[in-house]
Amino acid sequence: MKLTRIVLFPALLAALAAAPAFAALGGDVSSVQADLAHMKGALRVTTNAAVTVHEISTTYGTSVREFTGADGKVFAVSWSGPVNPDLRQVLGSYYPQFAQAASTTHGSHRRLNIEQPGLVVQNVGRLRAFAGRAWVPSMLPVNFSIDDIK
Amino acid sequence: MRKLVILTLLPLVLLGACGGGGGGGTTTPPPPPPPTQMLATAGPPNVEPLVMDAGPAALATAQETAVNTAFVSVKICIPNGGACQTIDHIEVDTGSSGLRVLASSDSPFTLNLPSEMSAGGLPIAECLQFADGSAFGPVATADITLPTSGKTLTNVNVQVIGATGWTVPSDCPGTAENTVVLFGANGILGVGPFLQDCGAACTQTPPIAGTYYTCPTPSTCAAATVTTAQQVPNPVSLFATDNNGVIVEMPAIASGGATNPSKGVLVFGIGTETNNALGSATVLLASDSDGFILASYNGTTNLNAALDSGSNATFFTDSTIPTCTDNASFYCPTSTLNLTATLTGTDNTMATANFTVVNADSVFNANSMATAMPGLSGPIGALPGNNIMIQFDLGMPFFFGRNVFTAIENQTTPGGTGPYYAF
Repeated sequence: MKLTRIVLFPALLAALAAAPAFAALGGDVSSVQADLAHMKGALRVTTNAAVTVHEISTTYGTSVREFTGADGKVFAVSWSGPVNPDLRQVLGSYYPQFAQAASTTHGSHRRLNIEQPGLVVQNVGRLRAFAGRAWVPSMLPVNFSIDDIK
Repeated sequence: MRKLVILTLLPLVLLGACGGGGGGGTTTPPPPPPPTQMLATAGPPNVEPLVMDAGPAALATAQETAVNTAFVSVKICIPNGGACQTIDHIEVDTGSSGLRVLASSDSPFTLNLPSEMSAGGLPIAECLQFADGSAFGPVATADITLPTSGKTLTNVNVQVIGATGWTVPSDCPGTAENTVVLFGANGILGVGPFLQDCGAACTQTPPIAGTYYTCPTPSTCAAATVTTAQQVPNPVSLFATDNNGVIVEMPAIASGGATNPSKGVLVFGIGTETNNALGSATVLLASDSDGFILASYNGTTNLNAALDSGSNATFFTDSTIPTCTDNASFYCPTSTLNLTATLTGTDNTMATANFTVVNADSVFNANSMATAMPGLSGPIGALPGNNIMIQFDLGMPFFFGRNVFTAIENQTTPGGTGPYYAF
C-alpha cells in the first residue's frame, strides 16, 4: 500500500485553526481542525482510497489520530502519549454516552474497555504512557479492520 | 484499508542469547526451581503488613468487592505536631508514585492540611490520570507515618482527592474518580519506579493540560508548570533509610483463591537490612524513560512490560484465549492454562515468568468470597502494536508466592541503579 503524506505548514495551520469547533468522533472532517486548534498541535495527513488518517502531534508528546472515511466523517480516533487527550474534545457528541458507561464500569485503573452497540472505547496505561482508541462500529468503512485503528 | 503489516524488529543479539519464550536458540539449560519463599515479618524498621480483603466499607455498601488488591494503613498528620488521622485500605501500587487519600474515606478525611504553594503563592492541585478516568484534588503538605514499620516523613506532598469545595477543571480528562467507590480504595500509596508521578514532563512550559494546576480559588484552577519538588513524590524515596525501593511479598495463594490471606508484607529498601536482600532474584533493568522492561510471549517480542501490584490481573494479548461472556475484561479459557513469558531488562538480562490463566467466571462462581485469586487474567486491549503503552502487565497474581522488587530511578542498590524490577 502506498501512503501519501501531506505536511501542513504553519501558515496553513493558522488558517485551519479558525475552523468551527465541531465534535471529533462522528463529526465531519472540520472537527479535525477544531481538535488541532484545541490541542495546539501539528498535523500530518495520511490517506489512501478509503481512509484518511489525520494525526495531531502535541508539544508534550501526546498524539491523536482521527480516521475519516469516504464520507468525510470521523469514524474512529486513537491516541498515545504521556497523558490522555481531552476526551470531551476527542469523543465529541459521543462523550456523554462514554461518560455514562465509564461511570458504571469499575475496573482497573490501568485499563478501560467499554463496548456498547454504538460505541467502543479502550484505553490502557498509566501517567507517562497511555494509549487508547474509540470507534463507532456502525460507521466503519466496508472491509476496514479495527486492527488498523492504532 | 486492508490490514497494515506491523514490522517488528528482532534484535539479533538478543535472540541469540535467549533460551526461553523469545523463540531463539534453546541451548540454555532450564532454570533451577525457585528457592522457597521467605516472607519478612511485619515490624520496625522497614516492614508493613499488607491486607488483601474486600476493601473499604464503602465498596461493600455499593455491593462491590476488591480482589487481588493489597492495602496498607497510613497515619497522616498536619505538620509540626498537628492533628492526625489513620486511613486504612490505601492500595499499594508499584505502578504509580505518590501518596493520595480520598477525602471521602470510610472515616472521612477531615484534616485541614496546608496547601503546597507555587512560587507565585497559589495553591497547587493535581489531576491524576488513569486509563479509566482521573482523580482531582489539591496537593497538600503532611507528616506521614507507616504505623507498623514506623517509617515517617515530614512535610511531604500528598494529594487529597475529592477535597470538599474544589471544582474539577474541565480539562482534567475522563471520568472523575473522586469517591471511594469510583476510586476503589481509600487512597493509594504509589511506590513505583519513579521519583515523582509526572517528572520532567510537568516541569516544561507550556504546561500539559490535565496534570498540575495553580488555583487562585478552588474553583478556578488553571494548568501550570511545576517543579519536581512541587510534585507528589514517591514517599519511599524520601525516607531517611531504606529508600531505594520496595519489595512486595505475598504468600502463594491456593488455586481456587483465598479470603483475606495473611502474611503479605511491604518491605522498604533493597539490600539495606538483613530482611531485604536481593538474594537469588534476577534484576531486570527498566527503561529510564517509561519504566518498562520487555516481554516476549508466544512468538511476539519487545512487548512493553511491568510488574504492577496495582493491576489485579495479568493483562496481555492472546487472541486464542476466549474472554468471559459476561465480562470481556477477563479471560475464560476452558481449562487453566500454564503459560510462560520471557522478560528482558535493558541490559539484556532475561528471566522466565511463569503464570497461569484461569477461567474467571468459574473460579468466582466456585468461590464468591475470594479476595485473592491466582491466575486472574484478561486481554490488555487498546492499540495493537503500539510501542508507547504497556503491553504485558504482570499484575498481582504474578506476585503471589514471589518477592517482587521495585527499585526507584537513580537510587543505588546492591543490584544496580534503578529503575528496575527483580524477582
